[in-house]
Amino acid sequence: MKTLKITDLHVEIEGKEILKGVNLTVNTGEIHAIMGPNGTGKSTLSQTIMGHPAYQITRGTIELDGQDLAEMTVDERARAGLFLAMQYPAEIQGVTNFEFMRAAVNARRPEDDQVDVMTFMKDLDRNREFLSMSVEMSSRYLNEGFSGGEKKRNEILQMLMIKPTIAILDEIDSGLDIDALKVVSKGVNSMRSDNFATLMITHYQRLLDYIVPDYVHVMMGGKIVKTGGPALAKRLEGEGYAALRDELGLQIALTDEDV
Amino acid sequence: MEVMEKTEVLPLPVFDKVRFDRWGLTEMTAGRESSAATFSAHEGENGIEINGQSVNYHYLSDELKKAGVLIMHIGDAKLRYPELVDRVLGRVINPSSDQLVADNFVQYNTGAFIYVPKNIRLTEPLHLYLNHLANEQDTVAHVLVYLEQNSELTLLAESQTVGVNGGKVSLLSEVVAGPGSKLTYVNFDDFDQNTTAYLNRQAKVGQGAVVDWVNASFSDGQTLNQLTSTLLGEGAQSDVKVASFTNGRQTQGFNTEVKNVGRHTVGHIFQRGVILDSANLIFNGLGKIIKGSKGSDAQQESRVLMLSRRGRGEANPLLLIDESDVTAGHAASVGQVDDQQLYYLMSRGLPEVLARRLVVRGFVGEVLAAIPDQRLLDRVVAAIERKLNDENGTQ
Repeated sequence: MKTLKITDLHVEIEGKEILKGVNLTVNTGEIHAIMGPNGTGKSTLSQTIMGHPAYQITRGTIELDGQDLAEMTVDERARAGLFLAMQYPAEIQGVTNFEFMRAAVNARRPEDDQVDVMTFMKDLDRNREFLSMSVEMSSRYLNEGFSGGEKKRNEILQMLMIKPTIAILDEIDSGLDIDALKVVSKGVNSMRSDNFATLMITHYQRLLDYIVPDYVHVMMGGKIVKTGGPALAKRLEGEGYAALRDELGLQIALTDEDV
Repeated sequence: MEVMEKTEVLPLPVFDKVRFDRWGLTEMTAGRESSAATFSAHEGENGIEINGQSVNYHYLSDELKKAGVLIMHIGDAKLRYPELVDRVLGRVINPSSDQLVADNFVQYNTGAFIYVPKNIRLTEPLHLYLNHLANEQDTVAHVLVYLEQNSELTLLAESQTVGVNGGKVSLLSEVVAGPGSKLTYVNFDDFDQNTTAYLNRQAKVGQGAVVDWVNASFSDGQTLNQLTSTLLGEGAQSDVKVASFTNGRQTQGFNTEVKNVGRHTVGHIFQRGVILDSANLIFNGLGKIIKGSKGSDAQQESRVLMLSRRGRGEANPLLLIDESDVTAGHAASVGQVDDQQLYYLMSRGLPEVLARRLVVRGFVGEVLAAIPDQRLLDRVVAAIERKLNDENGTQ
């Protein structure tokens, strides 16, 4: 079992504090969802776990099996089993999806045991078909000219190829129509096992109909303010975040709230 | 002697923002050496290897010979096919256009002549290896390429320095592409850091003909590159792709030009330059649309990637338009490796060095993709690795 443990995490970007004491433990075998209104720090949490250089940890720790992530570079974290499906994946001209994914897979293997091209191709084709992606996508440049939906599928394809231990999915459902959402969910569900954990970040309960979580956390004002089961998400869908805030007696202004 | 005196009054060519007056390009002595060895050619491939004065490899399949295809030392061609030579030599590059051109016309004593007869379409490439023998002397070479009507050729040209004593190279290449012909002309320039090179390649493109250039400029020494397509006939096309890595203390200057003369001509320039160490790289792109070239299209995109703060890079696009019924556009940029791209690749487990290499190689990927030969592509990729490794060694 692997464990991602976040303790009293405070993070700032450009001098502004976004996370104000997040506590969260994710074990393999578990599916967690983090919900919350806009501007509450959900993406900051995911980028900080992965190690984006713009985010500064000012207090607290993130540990993977007891090892402090602050001492690891982005690529070391990835090779240790972390994966972040990004909301806005970078486009890289001149590098094909195929060569990129092969490099990513090989980065996890010793130099004298690199994956051979045929095995890799078969694996890629199988996963590509599973996600209903076209043959051409492997020879296209990485994310270049991909539609929003294609980019999300491509993130999930990478996850299937890389087989991480703990995958963070940052708004993987945004901008997807219902068919694409089903495909993406199918991909995530296929990874479900005792050796895999997911931390999904979303605005909408809809995603959780397709990927049923074990835990739902609500984030507001840079903290997790409530944790529950799938029923919590359903309740939020009905009542909204403001009602929960008021019930908890929190003094937090919501970004999109009408004053 | 009269000609020699005449050349001295001609001006030097203009390469905007490139200072080359101290490179000694006006003081060349055409070498007279030969080589006993072959350095580049592979047994069984169609083509020629010329080292200094000597032809060290020559092969054309019976089929190509029977079809009338020619590839030979320019000296042989002048003796055996003077009429064909006369239809190209000095017809594309005006011998008195500037001092460096004129010097070459006076002095050249090596080079190649390549000829494809009417309606002959080669399915396999021809190789032209033209190497500089670096033994105190200079190489002054002239290449002529003549495609008759409706013929087709892929020419893979590679040049390197043989020996350690540097020197200078002046290479002029003139191309005549007859009506309906198609030429893909790939140049891999790989001279060493002690070799100063003046490379001037120009094509006249006839009606409905296509000349596509792919220039991989990987020399380590001072280099001037002139590359020009003149689209004369109606519907003539030229796609010009340039990739260059400059490192150490070298300067590489590029004048890359397409002139739209005929109606409905299409000219595209695509340049990618990478700068390491304290090197200089200057792309001057010129699209020249002549009055009367109605319905023509001229586009250019030049981008420079700085991998070092000590280097200097420029991308200067220029469009001169003298006809209103055309489409034209340009884009140019000088920038650094995108941090978001690096972060993305590293988040998939690629170490920073590898991530950077992917981004850098991707930056020139579209030019590499246009190289139609795996072995040549491998050589270019190896040259990229060499330049990047040199950089790491000096930091």
